[in-house]
Amino acid sequence: MGLPAVPAPRRGFRLSDRQVGILFMLPFAAVAAAFIVWPVAEAVRLAFHTKSPFSPALTFVGLDNFRYVLGDPTFWAALRQAVIWTVSSTLLQSVIGVGLALLLHQAVRGINVFRGLLLFPYMVPTVVIALVWRWMFNPEFGIVNASLHRLGLIRENIYWFSDPQWAMASVILLNVWKFTPFVVICVLARLQTIQVDLYDAARVDGASAWQRFRDITLPQLKTVLSVVVVFRTIWTFNKFEEIYLLTRGGPGTSTFNLAVYAFEQATANLKLGAAAATGVIMLALLFGGSALYLRLIGRQEE
Amino acid sequence: MNRREFLKQGAALGGAAALGAIGAPRQVRAQRKTGTVRVWGEPGPYAGVAVEGMNEWAKANAPGLTFTVETLSWTDVYPKLMTDLAAGRPASCISVESPIAFQLMAEGLLEPVDDVIARVGRGRLIPGAKWEYWGAWKGRQYVVPAHHQSHLLVVRTDVLKEAGITTSPETWNWNDLLNAARTIKEKTKAFGICFALGRTIATDYYLSGLLHSAGSRMFDVRNNFQVAFDSPASIETFDFVSELYPSMPPGALGYTFLDVVDSMATGQSGMVFYWGRVFGRAAEVNPKVFETMEAYQHAAHPKTGKRLNWNDFQGWLIPKANNPYIAEVKEALAYYLTHKDWPLRYVHSLVPNVSPVFQDVAQDPRLTTHPFFQTKRRTIFEYYVEALKNASNSGNELLEGINPLAGIVHGRGILAQGIQKVLIDKWSAKNAVKWVAGELEQVRREHIRLLI
Repeated sequence: MGLPAVPAPRRGFRLSDRQVGILFMLPFAAVAAAFIVWPVAEAVRLAFHTKSPFSPALTFVGLDNFRYVLGDPTFWAALRQAVIWTVSSTLLQSVIGVGLALLLHQAVRGINVFRGLLLFPYMVPTVVIALVWRWMFNPEFGIVNASLHRLGLIRENIYWFSDPQWAMASVILLNVWKFTPFVVICVLARLQTIQVDLYDAARVDGASAWQRFRDITLPQLKTVLSVVVVFRTIWTFNKFEEIYLLTRGGPGTSTFNLAVYAFEQATANLKLGAAAATGVIMLALLFGGSALYLRLIGRQEE
Repeated sequence: MNRREFLKQGAALGGAAALGAIGAPRQVRAQRKTGTVRVWGEPGPYAGVAVEGMNEWAKANAPGLTFTVETLSWTDVYPKLMTDLAAGRPASCISVESPIAFQLMAEGLLEPVDDVIARVGRGRLIPGAKWEYWGAWKGRQYVVPAHHQSHLLVVRTDVLKEAGITTSPETWNWNDLLNAARTIKEKTKAFGICFALGRTIATDYYLSGLLHSAGSRMFDVRNNFQVAFDSPASIETFDFVSELYPSMPPGALGYTFLDVVDSMATGQSGMVFYWGRVFGRAAEVNPKVFETMEAYQHAAHPKTGKRLNWNDFQGWLIPKANNPYIAEVKEALAYYLTHKDWPLRYVHSLVPNVSPVFQDVAQDPRLTTHPFFQTKRRTIFEYYVEALKNASNSGNELLEGINPLAGIVHGRGILAQGIQKVLIDKWSAKNAVKWVAGELEQVRREHIRLLI
């Protein structure tokens, strides 16, 4: 008597792990293709054409748009100002962000309330912030000038948005205030994963607070800071709304960055091709800058 | 023409025209369309009043339609219009400043409205005005008049008195204006004068009035639209503004329209250049300042004697493409402009900013029932009647002919950038004028197709 026959396993449709992975990525790939890749490709295509907003006609002009943009003194002024705006904002955000993160890393009662409050600027829409700041920095009745007067720090009102230097300082200040919480969150998260043993050992060895920060904390933060700096640089360089809402690029063109310049080319000058060419130049600058920065950081780690 | 003649002529012509228009109502077929008809208007209550009138038409003739007003802030009007037209989602009916309307008209983006004008009544316009001022191109009308509005010299009489200035602004020339501004700054707590000098269309409009008075112009419409800006008159105007600037609030370099309104209404400045809106604002927020305010025609240029303003002949235009409600908008416009009290209510909604353009409205005895007529009758007359005699416009310089390039110039803020080069970057007026002329030439070259 033989054993009862065991039914053969059914050979159903089965995906490999690799295929499942690809399947999961498909929705993102579709969204990215529709909303990132295609617009970027269109912008690159447009950069080689002239196009009026009012007409469907698209005329190939080769490199003319790039020649126009690169020959425009306002473009170079905007680039110079964009570098000042980006470097100052990112540097201040990083320094203040690390400082605040160290403060918020203390085991103090109620610290979570402060951590929550810190997110406030990051959560409020930029339009709201810009409007509030315009009131606060109003030269005649704004709270900033009034406070500075009361503290005896100024005698004459500061015209924050009418003087080129102060206007740039104002927009940088707004950007720092709004986006420092992003740096704090990233740095705080990393601080909480640094092993306490390292600090205990350093204390035993007699290391001062500054030495512990320099030799333990800072090296441990290096990776997260390098990512944060790249992100903040890219986002700040591309930023449009804070500058536009606060100063509209003025006075004159003193707070133009390349994003505002591109916007002006498109909506005021009706040169969609020149605006797209500016975007392509920004893309190249950011791509090159980020690659160089990450390479330098990587080399240092090696 | 004096006021009496204006009233007399207007009564005869306006009455007949209005009767013709109102007395023969056109049979309107009930419309089956449904939806929301978007109407763009500039900030202020008047577009809302017009839309109320349009909705009255819709209620009776197209119950499925609702007209809604969307306000476009002045500063954003150009980018908003351009992006929405480019994206193919314009409002179905738009009220916008005349130079921009002229540009859209020449671009071929607008629906002709001669049929609406015929129903509104061709004989209804106030004396001194022509239909083309609002927007006609190559023999066709593209804009239906809504109102006209000029910036004038608005002074606080108490501040003039405090500064010891006894001459009437009626008699001033540019030198007197400059002296008055300096004296006010020296002898009172107020700034001498204020107008916008930010990189905005407001600054372009202020400068245009001064440039035209000095005898300058951007383009010569009678000479193939050649750039005519590089002239001693332009240099003189830029120099004059830089002489006025020390008497202004330093913030003026970033100011646009409403900053100037606030500068007067809050008592910051003794004199401003502004449209009639500033009176309404002051009455609302600072009645004491309102009591002392009076408007005058601008100071005369010492050589030309001209006191030109920048008069916005503002009207209604209808985008041609991507507009499913062209017929309905035409019906609604014709209705509100010829029925009941809508045109009068429109003018009453912001006295003296919105000057009447139809004689029957200007002559309507009820016009003077607005409370401002009790205390500001002279000022209102300056805006409604006298300003028209000194009217100019960047899109119709010296009223010599429509120029669609002006809209593009203002979109780029070229005049504003020019004066900012003098005041911020410390360029000489001569170099700044040359720079502006170069930019204007570029605009002309790039958009020559609009002129052919």
